[in-house]
Amino acid sequence: MRSTVPFDPRASRAPESSLAGRLGRRVVDVFRRAEGLLATLGAAALAVRTPGLAAREVVRRVLFTQILYTGFQAVGLVSAIGALLGATIVIQIELMVPSADSALIGKVLVAVVLRELAPLITAIVVAGRSGTAIATELGNMQVNHEVLALSSLGIDPARFIVLPRLVSAAVSVVVLMVYFSAVALIATAGLGLLLASAGSESLVGGIRSALTPYDFALFFGKGLGLGTLVGWLSCHYGFGVKSSPTEVPQMASRAVVMSLFGAVTFNTLLTAVFYWTVGPPLR
Amino acid sequence: MSQGLELEGASFRYGQLWVLVETSLRVPPGGTLVLTGENGVGKSTLLYLLGGLVPATTGRVLLGGHEPSASRPSDLVRHGVRRGFVFQHGGLLSNLSALENVALALRYHADLFGIDEAIARERAREALAELRVAKTDLHALPAHLSVGVRQRVSLARALAIEPNFVFLDDPDQGLDQATTELVLDLLVRLRDDTRMTVVLTTTDPIVVERLGVPVMRLENGRLVSEERRA
Repeated sequence: MRSTVPFDPRASRAPESSLAGRLGRRVVDVFRRAEGLLATLGAAALAVRTPGLAAREVVRRVLFTQILYTGFQAVGLVSAIGALLGATIVIQIELMVPSADSALIGKVLVAVVLRELAPLITAIVVAGRSGTAIATELGNMQVNHEVLALSSLGIDPARFIVLPRLVSAAVSVVVLMVYFSAVALIATAGLGLLLASAGSESLVGGIRSALTPYDFALFFGKGLGLGTLVGWLSCHYGFGVKSSPTEVPQMASRAVVMSLFGAVTFNTLLTAVFYWTVGPPLR
Repeated sequence: MSQGLELEGASFRYGQLWVLVETSLRVPPGGTLVLTGENGVGKSTLLYLLGGLVPATTGRVLLGGHEPSASRPSDLVRHGVRRGFVFQHGGLLSNLSALENVALALRYHADLFGIDEAIARERAREALAELRVAKTDLHALPAHLSVGVRQRVSLARALAIEPNFVFLDDPDQGLDQATTELVLDLLVRLRDDTRMTVVLTTTDPIVVERLGVPVMRLENGRLVSEERRA
Protein backbone atom coordinates (compact mmCIF):
# COMPACT_ATOMS: atom_id res chain seq x y z
CA MET A 1 0.00 0.00 0.00
CA ARG A 2 1.04 3.57 -0.49
CA SER A 3 3.12 5.01 2.34
CA THR A 4 1.12 6.66 5.09
CA VAL A 5 4.19 8.45 6.43
CA PRO A 6 3.34 12.08 7.15
CA PHE A 7 5.11 14.39 4.77
CA ASP A 8 7.43 17.26 5.55
CA PRO A 9 7.23 19.87 2.76
CA ARG A 10 10.75 21.09 3.64
CA ALA A 11 12.04 17.83 2.15
CA SER A 12 10.39 18.36 -1.23
CA ARG A 13 13.03 20.79 -2.48
CA ALA A 14 14.97 18.54 -4.83
CA PRO A 15 18.64 19.48 -5.32
CA GLU A 16 19.76 20.81 -8.69
CA SER A 17 21.09 18.13 -11.00
CA SER A 18 22.22 17.48 -14.57
CA LEU A 19 19.98 16.40 -17.46
CA ALA A 20 21.05 12.79 -16.93
CA GLY A 21 20.28 13.15 -13.24
CA ARG A 22 16.80 14.51 -13.93
CA LEU A 23 16.13 11.77 -16.48
CA GLY A 24 17.31 9.12 -14.05
CA ARG A 25 15.08 10.54 -11.33
CA ARG A 26 12.13 10.47 -13.75
CA VAL A 27 12.71 6.78 -14.52
CA VAL A 28 13.02 5.96 -10.85
CA ASP A 29 9.77 7.87 -10.21
CA VAL A 30 7.93 5.83 -12.86
CA PHE A 31 9.09 2.58 -11.30
CA ARG A 32 8.21 3.80 -7.81
CA ARG A 33 4.73 4.76 -8.97
CA ALA A 34 4.19 1.36 -10.56
CA GLU A 35 5.50 -0.31 -7.42
CA GLY A 36 3.19 1.80 -5.27
CA LEU A 37 0.18 0.93 -7.42
CA LEU A 38 0.89 -2.79 -7.19
CA ALA A 39 1.61 -2.49 -3.48
CA THR A 40 -1.87 -1.01 -2.86
CA LEU A 41 -3.54 -3.89 -4.70
CA GLY A 42 -1.25 -6.48 -3.13
CA ALA A 43 -1.90 -5.18 0.40
CA ALA A 44 -5.66 -5.40 -0.16
CA ALA A 45 -5.33 -8.94 -1.55
CA LEU A 46 -3.16 -10.05 1.39
CA ALA A 47 -5.58 -8.43 3.84
CA VAL A 48 -8.17 -11.09 2.94
CA ARG A 49 -6.03 -13.66 4.72
CA THR A 50 -5.27 -11.56 7.83
CA PRO A 51 -6.49 -13.41 10.94
CA GLY A 52 -9.05 -11.94 13.35
CA LEU A 53 -12.72 -12.93 13.47
CA ALA A 54 -13.92 -9.76 15.19
CA ALA A 55 -12.01 -7.66 12.66
CA ARG A 56 -13.69 -9.59 9.85
CA GLU A 57 -17.10 -8.68 11.28
CA VAL A 58 -16.17 -4.99 11.58
CA VAL A 59 -14.83 -4.94 8.02
CA ARG A 60 -17.96 -6.73 6.74
CA ARG A 61 -20.09 -3.89 8.12
CA VAL A 62 -17.87 -1.33 6.41
CA LEU A 63 -18.27 -3.33 3.19
CA PHE A 64 -22.08 -3.28 3.40
CA THR A 65 -22.04 0.47 4.00
CA GLN A 66 -19.76 0.96 1.01
CA ILE A 67 -22.00 -1.20 -1.22
CA LEU A 68 -24.93 0.96 -0.13
CA TYR A 69 -23.10 4.15 -1.13
CA THR A 70 -21.46 2.81 -4.28
CA GLY A 71 -24.12 0.50 -5.64
CA PHE A 72 -27.56 1.12 -4.23
CA GLN A 73 -27.40 4.92 -4.31
CA ALA A 74 -26.34 4.85 -7.99
CA VAL A 75 -29.45 2.96 -9.12
CA GLY A 76 -31.43 6.08 -10.08
CA LEU A 77 -28.67 7.53 -12.23
CA VAL A 78 -27.96 4.17 -13.89
CA SER A 79 -31.69 3.72 -14.63
CA ALA A 80 -31.93 7.09 -16.35
CA ILE A 81 -28.75 6.62 -18.40
CA GLY A 82 -29.71 3.04 -19.37
CA ALA A 83 -33.18 4.03 -20.57
CA LEU A 84 -31.97 7.09 -22.48
CA LEU A 85 -29.10 5.21 -24.16
CA GLY A 86 -31.43 2.36 -25.12
CA ALA A 87 -33.82 4.85 -26.72
CA THR A 88 -30.93 6.58 -28.51
CA ILE A 89 -29.82 3.30 -30.08
CA VAL A 90 -33.28 2.58 -31.46
CA ILE A 91 -33.59 6.10 -32.86
CA GLN A 92 -30.15 5.83 -34.50
CA ILE A 93 -30.97 2.46 -36.10
CA GLU A 94 -34.34 3.65 -37.36
CA LEU A 95 -32.78 6.73 -38.91
CA MET A 96 -29.76 4.99 -40.44
CA VAL A 97 -31.49 1.75 -41.51
CA PRO A 98 -35.21 2.50 -41.93
CA SER A 99 -35.84 -1.06 -43.11
CA ALA A 100 -34.23 -2.57 -39.97
CA ASP A 101 -36.22 -5.35 -38.36
CA SER A 102 -36.28 -6.32 -34.69
CA ALA A 103 -33.69 -9.06 -35.24
CA LEU A 104 -31.11 -6.44 -36.26
CA ILE A 105 -32.01 -4.31 -33.25
CA GLY A 106 -31.50 -7.40 -31.05
CA LYS A 107 -28.07 -8.03 -32.52
CA VAL A 108 -27.04 -4.40 -32.13
CA LEU A 109 -28.27 -4.47 -28.52
CA VAL A 110 -26.00 -7.38 -27.67
CA ALA A 111 -22.99 -5.92 -29.52
CA VAL A 112 -23.37 -2.36 -28.26
CA VAL A 113 -25.24 -2.44 -24.93
CA LEU A 114 -24.28 -5.75 -23.33
CA ARG A 115 -20.70 -5.94 -24.55
CA GLU A 116 -19.65 -2.29 -24.49
CA LEU A 117 -21.95 0.30 -22.98
CA ALA A 118 -23.12 -1.58 -19.89
CA PRO A 119 -19.62 -2.21 -18.52
CA LEU A 120 -18.14 1.09 -19.59
CA ILE A 121 -21.00 3.41 -18.62
CA THR A 122 -21.43 1.66 -15.28
CA ALA A 123 -17.72 1.94 -14.53
CA ILE A 124 -17.78 5.63 -15.50
CA VAL A 125 -20.77 6.25 -13.21
CA VAL A 126 -19.07 4.46 -10.29
CA ALA A 127 -15.76 6.25 -10.93
CA GLY A 128 -17.51 9.62 -11.14
CA ARG A 129 -19.76 9.13 -8.11
CA SER A 130 -17.79 6.88 -5.76
CA GLY A 131 -14.23 7.15 -7.08
CA THR A 132 -14.08 10.84 -6.26
CA ALA A 133 -15.79 10.20 -2.91
CA ILE A 134 -13.30 7.46 -1.98
CA ALA A 135 -10.24 9.46 -3.02
CA THR A 136 -11.50 12.57 -1.22
CA GLU A 137 -12.38 10.65 1.94
CA LEU A 138 -9.00 8.89 2.07
CA GLY A 139 -7.16 12.10 1.27
CA ASN A 140 -8.86 13.87 4.15
CA MET A 141 -8.12 10.92 6.41
CA GLN A 142 -4.43 11.28 5.55
CA VAL A 143 -4.44 15.02 6.27
CA ASN A 144 -6.22 14.50 9.60
CA HIS A 145 -3.86 11.68 10.68
CA GLU A 146 -6.80 9.28 10.77
CA VAL A 147 -4.88 6.58 8.89
CA LEU A 148 -2.01 6.83 11.37
CA ALA A 149 -4.53 6.71 14.19
CA LEU A 150 -5.97 3.46 12.83
CA SER A 151 -2.46 1.99 12.63
CA SER A 152 -1.73 3.07 16.19
CA LEU A 153 -4.78 1.13 17.34
CA GLY A 154 -3.59 -1.99 15.52
CA ILE A 155 -6.19 -1.63 12.77
CA ASP A 156 -4.74 -2.51 9.36
CA PRO A 157 -5.51 0.31 6.87
CA ALA A 158 -5.37 -2.15 3.96
CA ARG A 159 -8.02 -4.34 5.58
CA PHE A 160 -10.21 -1.69 7.15
CA ILE A 161 -10.05 0.95 4.41
CA VAL A 162 -8.88 -0.44 1.06
CA LEU A 163 -10.36 -3.95 0.97
CA PRO A 164 -14.03 -3.01 1.58
CA ARG A 165 -13.89 -0.12 -0.91
CA LEU A 166 -12.24 -2.25 -3.56
CA VAL A 167 -14.67 -5.15 -3.11
CA SER A 168 -17.70 -2.86 -2.97
CA ALA A 169 -16.65 -1.15 -6.22
CA ALA A 170 -16.24 -4.54 -7.94
CA VAL A 171 -19.57 -5.90 -6.64
CA SER A 172 -21.40 -2.65 -7.38
CA VAL A 173 -20.16 -2.42 -10.97
CA VAL A 174 -21.24 -6.02 -11.71
CA VAL A 175 -24.68 -5.59 -10.14
CA LEU A 176 -25.22 -2.18 -11.74
CA MET A 177 -24.15 -3.62 -15.12
CA VAL A 178 -26.84 -6.28 -14.89
CA TYR A 179 -29.36 -3.63 -13.92
CA PHE A 180 -28.20 -1.18 -16.62
CA SER A 181 -28.48 -3.93 -19.25
CA ALA A 182 -31.98 -4.83 -18.14
CA VAL A 183 -33.16 -1.19 -18.21
CA ALA A 184 -31.51 -0.52 -21.58
CA LEU A 185 -32.95 -3.71 -23.10
CA ILE A 186 -36.44 -2.92 -21.84
CA ALA A 187 -36.25 0.67 -23.12
CA THR A 188 -34.84 -0.44 -26.48
CA ALA A 189 -37.35 -3.25 -26.85
CA GLY A 190 -40.26 -0.98 -25.94
CA LEU A 191 -39.32 1.81 -28.29
CA GLY A 192 -38.03 -0.60 -30.96
CA LEU A 193 -41.28 -2.52 -31.06
CA LEU A 194 -43.18 0.72 -31.46
CA LEU A 195 -41.01 1.92 -34.34
CA ALA A 196 -39.85 -1.29 -36.09
CA SER A 197 -42.09 -3.37 -38.30
CA ALA A 198 -41.22 -6.78 -36.79
CA GLY A 199 -42.43 -8.20 -33.46
CA SER A 200 -40.95 -9.16 -30.15
CA GLU A 201 -40.17 -12.75 -31.21
CA SER A 202 -37.86 -11.42 -33.89
CA LEU A 203 -36.15 -9.12 -31.35
CA VAL A 204 -35.58 -11.98 -28.91
CA GLY A 205 -34.40 -14.16 -31.78
CA GLY A 206 -31.89 -11.48 -32.80
CA ILE A 207 -30.58 -11.24 -29.22
CA ARG A 208 -30.32 -15.04 -28.94
CA SER A 209 -28.50 -15.43 -32.23
CA ALA A 210 -25.96 -12.74 -31.29
CA LEU A 211 -25.24 -14.12 -27.79
CA THR A 212 -22.47 -16.66 -27.36
CA PRO A 213 -21.36 -18.57 -24.24
CA TYR A 214 -18.30 -16.30 -24.21
CA ASP A 215 -20.57 -13.32 -23.62
CA PHE A 216 -21.12 -14.29 -19.99
CA ALA A 217 -17.37 -14.50 -19.40
CA LEU A 218 -16.88 -11.15 -21.15
CA PHE A 219 -19.73 -9.50 -19.22
CA PHE A 220 -18.65 -10.58 -15.76
CA GLY A 221 -14.94 -10.35 -16.56
CA LYS A 222 -15.38 -6.74 -17.61
CA GLY A 223 -17.57 -5.98 -14.60
CA LEU A 224 -15.22 -7.43 -12.00
CA GLY A 225 -12.14 -6.02 -13.70
CA LEU A 226 -13.51 -2.51 -14.16
CA GLY A 227 -14.93 -2.37 -10.62
CA THR A 228 -11.67 -3.53 -9.10
CA LEU A 229 -9.76 -1.02 -11.20
CA VAL A 230 -11.92 1.90 -10.07
CA GLY A 231 -11.77 0.91 -6.38
CA TRP A 232 -8.04 0.24 -6.55
CA LEU A 233 -7.05 3.49 -8.28
CA SER A 234 -9.37 5.60 -6.12
CA CYS A 235 -7.84 4.19 -2.91
CA HIS A 236 -4.32 4.50 -4.27
CA TYR A 237 -4.64 8.15 -5.24
CA GLY A 238 -6.54 8.95 -2.05
CA PHE A 239 -3.57 7.68 -0.05
CA GLY A 240 -1.35 9.79 -2.30
CA VAL A 241 -2.35 12.90 -0.32
CA LYS A 242 0.50 13.75 2.02
CA SER A 243 -0.10 16.66 4.36
CA SER A 244 -2.00 19.49 2.73
CA PRO A 245 -5.78 19.80 2.20
CA THR A 246 -5.07 21.42 -1.18
CA GLU A 247 -3.79 18.05 -2.42
CA VAL A 248 -7.17 16.40 -1.80
CA PRO A 249 -9.03 17.75 -4.88
CA GLN A 250 -5.91 17.23 -7.00
CA MET A 251 -5.68 13.59 -6.05
CA ALA A 252 -9.45 13.08 -6.37
CA SER A 253 -9.29 14.47 -9.89
CA ARG A 254 -6.29 12.27 -10.72
CA ALA A 255 -8.11 9.23 -9.31
CA VAL A 256 -11.07 9.78 -11.64
CA VAL A 257 -8.96 10.59 -14.71
CA MET A 258 -6.78 7.51 -14.20
CA SER A 259 -9.84 5.35 -13.46
CA LEU A 260 -11.52 6.48 -16.69
CA PHE A 261 -8.36 5.97 -18.74
CA GLY A 262 -7.77 2.57 -17.14
CA ALA A 263 -11.41 1.56 -17.65
CA VAL A 264 -11.46 2.45 -21.36
CA THR A 265 -8.12 0.71 -21.93
CA PHE A 266 -9.19 -2.42 -20.07
CA ASN A 267 -12.55 -2.48 -21.88
CA THR A 268 -10.90 -2.14 -25.30
CA LEU A 269 -8.39 -4.89 -24.56
CA LEU A 270 -11.09 -7.34 -23.45
CA THR A 271 -13.27 -6.47 -26.46
CA ALA A 272 -10.34 -7.07 -28.84
CA VAL A 273 -9.60 -10.45 -27.23
CA PHE A 274 -13.30 -11.35 -27.36
CA TYR A 275 -13.81 -10.65 -31.07
CA TRP A 276 -10.48 -12.27 -31.89
CA THR A 277 -11.92 -15.37 -30.18
CA VAL A 278 -15.56 -15.41 -31.39
CA GLY A 279 -15.47 -13.54 -34.72
CA PRO A 280 -17.33 -10.44 -35.99
CA PRO A 281 -20.34 -9.10 -34.07
CA LEU A 282 -23.02 -8.97 -36.79
CA ARG A 283 -23.18 -12.25 -38.69
CA MET B 1 5.20 -6.42 29.09
CA SER B 2 8.70 -7.52 30.12
CA GLN B 3 10.50 -5.26 27.65
CA GLY B 4 9.94 -1.58 27.18
CA LEU B 5 10.65 0.64 24.23
CA GLU B 6 13.96 0.32 22.42
CA LEU B 7 15.42 2.45 19.67
CA GLU B 8 18.44 0.77 18.12
CA GLY B 9 20.70 3.01 16.01
CA ALA B 10 17.65 4.58 14.41
CA SER B 11 17.67 7.40 11.87
CA PHE B 12 14.78 9.02 10.09
CA ARG B 13 14.71 11.41 7.19
CA TYR B 14 12.26 13.07 4.83
CA GLY B 15 14.06 13.34 1.50
CA GLN B 16 17.22 15.28 2.33
CA LEU B 17 15.99 16.37 5.76
CA TRP B 18 17.25 14.36 8.73
CA VAL B 19 14.89 14.38 11.71
CA LEU B 20 16.87 11.85 13.75
CA VAL B 21 20.42 10.64 13.26
CA GLU B 22 21.81 7.28 14.50
CA THR B 23 20.11 7.30 17.89
CA SER B 24 19.76 4.55 20.46
CA LEU B 25 17.42 4.86 23.39
CA ARG B 26 15.67 2.64 25.91
CA VAL B 27 12.62 3.38 27.99
CA PRO B 28 12.11 0.62 30.58
CA PRO B 29 8.68 -1.01 31.00
CA GLY B 30 6.52 1.27 33.11
CA GLY B 31 8.90 4.18 32.52
CA THR B 32 8.05 7.67 31.31
CA LEU B 33 10.06 9.80 28.89
CA VAL B 34 9.40 13.42 28.03
CA LEU B 35 10.61 14.72 24.65
CA THR B 36 11.02 18.40 24.17
CA GLY B 37 12.54 20.75 21.61
CA GLU B 38 11.79 23.80 19.56
CA ASN B 39 8.79 24.02 17.25
CA GLY B 40 9.35 22.29 13.91
CA VAL B 41 12.35 20.32 15.09
CA GLY B 42 10.57 17.00 14.48
CA LYS B 43 9.21 16.00 17.90
CA SER B 44 5.95 14.67 16.47
CA THR B 45 7.77 12.69 13.79
CA LEU B 46 10.09 11.26 16.43
CA LEU B 47 7.03 10.24 18.45
CA TYR B 48 5.55 8.53 15.36
CA LEU B 49 8.88 6.74 14.93
CA LEU B 50 9.01 5.65 18.58
CA GLY B 51 5.42 4.48 18.33
CA GLY B 52 6.20 2.40 15.26
CA LEU B 53 3.82 4.39 13.05
CA VAL B 54 6.56 5.30 10.59
CA PRO B 55 9.46 3.02 9.70
CA ALA B 56 12.99 4.12 10.57
CA THR B 57 15.23 5.00 7.61
CA THR B 58 17.99 3.00 9.30
CA GLY B 59 18.02 1.06 12.57
CA ARG B 60 14.86 -0.16 14.24
CA VAL B 61 12.30 0.35 16.96
CA LEU B 62 11.14 -2.41 19.28
CA LEU B 63 7.99 -2.26 21.37
CA GLY B 64 7.91 -4.96 23.98
CA GLY B 65 10.59 -6.78 21.98
CA HIS B 66 8.56 -6.71 18.76
CA GLU B 67 9.23 -4.69 15.66
CA PRO B 68 6.08 -2.87 14.52
CA SER B 69 4.94 -3.40 10.94
CA ALA B 70 3.67 -0.25 9.22
CA SER B 71 1.72 -2.33 6.70
CA ARG B 72 0.15 -4.78 9.19
CA PRO B 73 -0.08 -3.09 12.57
CA SER B 74 -2.52 -5.70 13.88
CA ASP B 75 0.44 -8.11 14.24
CA LEU B 76 1.60 -6.07 17.22
CA VAL B 77 -1.74 -6.53 19.00
CA ARG B 78 -1.56 -10.27 18.33
CA HIS B 79 1.82 -10.22 20.14
CA GLY B 80 0.19 -8.56 23.13
CA VAL B 81 1.48 -5.05 22.41
CA ARG B 82 -1.25 -2.40 22.70
CA ARG B 83 -0.49 1.18 21.74
CA GLY B 84 -2.48 4.20 22.75
CA PHE B 85 -1.67 7.28 20.70
CA VAL B 86 -2.91 10.83 21.20
CA PHE B 87 -2.23 13.10 18.24
CA GLN B 88 -1.59 16.81 18.50
CA HIS B 89 -4.22 17.57 15.85
CA GLY B 90 -6.87 15.30 14.42
CA GLY B 91 -6.61 11.57 14.70
CA LEU B 92 -10.27 10.97 15.49
CA LEU B 93 -12.17 9.28 12.67
CA SER B 94 -14.37 12.05 11.34
CA ASN B 95 -17.22 9.79 10.18
CA LEU B 96 -17.61 8.06 13.56
CA SER B 97 -19.19 9.46 16.72
CA ALA B 98 -17.12 9.95 19.88
CA LEU B 99 -18.42 6.66 21.27
CA GLU B 100 -17.76 4.77 18.02
CA ASN B 101 -14.25 6.22 17.86
CA VAL B 102 -13.44 4.84 21.30
CA ALA B 103 -15.22 1.52 20.72
CA LEU B 104 -13.71 0.81 17.30
CA ALA B 105 -10.41 -0.75 18.38
CA LEU B 106 -12.18 -2.70 21.14
CA ARG B 107 -14.63 -4.11 18.58
CA TYR B 108 -11.91 -4.76 15.98
CA HIS B 109 -9.78 -6.76 18.45
CA ALA B 110 -12.70 -8.11 20.51
CA ASP B 111 -11.63 -11.74 20.00
CA LEU B 112 -8.04 -10.96 21.03
CA PHE B 113 -9.22 -8.97 24.06
CA GLY B 114 -11.72 -11.70 24.99
CA ILE B 115 -14.73 -9.38 24.97
CA ASP B 116 -17.91 -9.08 22.94
CA GLU B 117 -19.56 -6.14 21.21
CA ALA B 118 -21.66 -5.13 24.22
CA ILE B 119 -18.67 -5.13 26.56
CA ALA B 120 -16.67 -3.15 23.99
CA ARG B 121 -19.32 -0.43 23.96
CA GLU B 122 -19.60 -0.47 27.74
CA ARG B 123 -15.83 -0.06 28.11
CA ALA B 124 -15.88 2.78 25.64
CA ARG B 125 -18.60 4.52 27.66
CA GLU B 126 -16.61 4.03 30.87
CA ALA B 127 -13.44 5.42 29.29
CA LEU B 128 -15.32 8.49 28.05
CA ALA B 129 -16.99 8.99 31.43
CA GLU B 130 -13.62 8.82 33.16
CA LEU B 131 -12.38 11.64 30.92
CA ARG B 132 -15.55 13.60 31.75
CA VAL B 133 -17.00 13.55 28.27
CA ALA B 134 -20.67 14.45 28.66
CA LYS B 135 -23.31 11.90 27.65
CA THR B 136 -24.74 14.43 25.23
CA ASP B 137 -21.43 14.39 23.34
CA LEU B 138 -21.20 10.60 22.99
CA HIS B 139 -23.04 10.43 19.68
CA ALA B 140 -21.63 13.63 18.19
CA LEU B 141 -19.15 13.57 15.33
CA PRO B 142 -15.68 14.98 16.16
CA ALA B 143 -16.35 18.04 13.96
CA HIS B 144 -19.21 18.97 16.30
CA LEU B 145 -17.08 18.78 19.45
CA SER B 146 -14.91 21.49 21.00
CA VAL B 147 -11.11 21.17 20.93
CA GLY B 148 -11.02 20.21 24.60
CA VAL B 149 -13.68 17.51 24.27
CA ARG B 150 -11.97 16.13 21.15
CA GLN B 151 -8.72 15.87 23.11
CA ARG B 152 -10.51 14.04 25.92
CA VAL B 153 -12.11 11.65 23.42
CA SER B 154 -8.63 11.01 21.96
CA LEU B 155 -7.30 10.25 25.42
CA ALA B 156 -10.26 7.97 26.14
CA ARG B 157 -9.67 6.10 22.88
CA ALA B 158 -5.99 5.65 23.68
CA LEU B 159 -6.63 4.39 27.19
CA ALA B 160 -9.75 2.28 26.58
CA ILE B 161 -7.71 -0.55 25.07
CA GLU B 162 -5.63 -0.75 28.29
CA PRO B 163 -2.40 -0.05 26.46
CA ASN B 164 1.09 -1.05 27.54
CA PHE B 165 2.54 1.85 25.53
CA VAL B 166 1.09 5.34 25.52
CA PHE B 167 2.30 8.09 23.18
CA LEU B 168 1.06 11.64 23.61
CA ASP B 169 1.86 14.48 21.26
CA ASP B 170 1.61 17.82 23.08
CA PRO B 171 -1.46 16.60 24.99
CA ASP B 172 -2.16 19.89 26.79
CA GLN B 173 -1.87 22.22 23.82
CA GLY B 174 -4.74 24.62 23.17
CA LEU B 175 -6.83 23.48 26.13
CA ASP B 176 -8.70 25.54 28.69
CA GLN B 177 -7.57 25.59 32.34
CA ALA B 178 -9.98 22.88 33.55
CA THR B 179 -9.13 20.46 30.74
CA THR B 180 -5.41 21.17 31.17
CA GLU B 181 -5.69 20.25 34.85
CA LEU B 182 -7.57 17.09 33.93
CA VAL B 183 -4.86 16.13 31.42
CA LEU B 184 -2.04 16.92 33.86
CA ASP B 185 -3.65 14.76 36.56
CA LEU B 186 -4.05 11.99 34.02
CA LEU B 187 -0.40 12.27 32.97
CA VAL B 188 0.70 11.90 36.59
CA ARG B 189 -1.50 8.81 36.91
CA LEU B 190 -0.03 7.34 33.72
CA ARG B 191 3.49 8.08 34.98
CA ASP B 192 2.75 6.17 38.20
CA ASP B 193 1.12 3.22 36.41
CA THR B 194 3.82 0.59 36.11
CA ARG B 195 1.89 -1.30 33.42
CA MET B 196 2.33 1.50 30.93
CA THR B 197 5.41 2.85 29.19
CA VAL B 198 4.72 6.50 28.42
CA VAL B 199 6.38 8.83 25.93
CA LEU B 200 5.14 12.35 25.44
CA THR B 201 6.25 15.47 23.63
CA THR B 202 5.72 18.89 25.11
CA THR B 203 7.01 22.42 25.04
CA ASP B 204 5.23 23.29 28.27
CA PRO B 205 7.57 23.65 31.30
CA ILE B 206 4.62 23.03 33.63
CA VAL B 207 4.17 19.52 32.22
CA VAL B 208 7.91 18.85 32.59
CA GLU B 209 7.93 20.10 36.15
CA ARG B 210 4.76 18.28 37.16
CA LEU B 211 5.96 14.92 35.86
CA GLY B 212 9.53 15.17 37.15
CA VAL B 213 10.84 12.43 34.85
CA PRO B 214 13.83 12.24 32.46
CA VAL B 215 13.59 14.80 29.67
CA MET B 216 15.31 14.51 26.29
CA ARG B 217 15.62 17.46 23.94
CA LEU B 218 15.64 16.98 20.18
CA GLU B 219 18.24 19.22 18.54
CA ASN B 220 19.55 18.92 14.99
CA GLY B 221 18.59 15.26 14.75
CA ARG B 222 20.19 14.35 18.09
CA LEU B 223 18.56 13.53 21.41
CA VAL B 224 20.25 15.33 24.27
CA SER B 225 19.49 14.73 27.93
CA GLU B 226 18.24 17.91 29.61
CA GLU B 227 20.33 17.09 32.72
CA ARG B 228 23.47 16.98 30.59
CA ARG B 229 22.58 20.35 29.08
CA ALA B 230 22.13 21.84 32.52
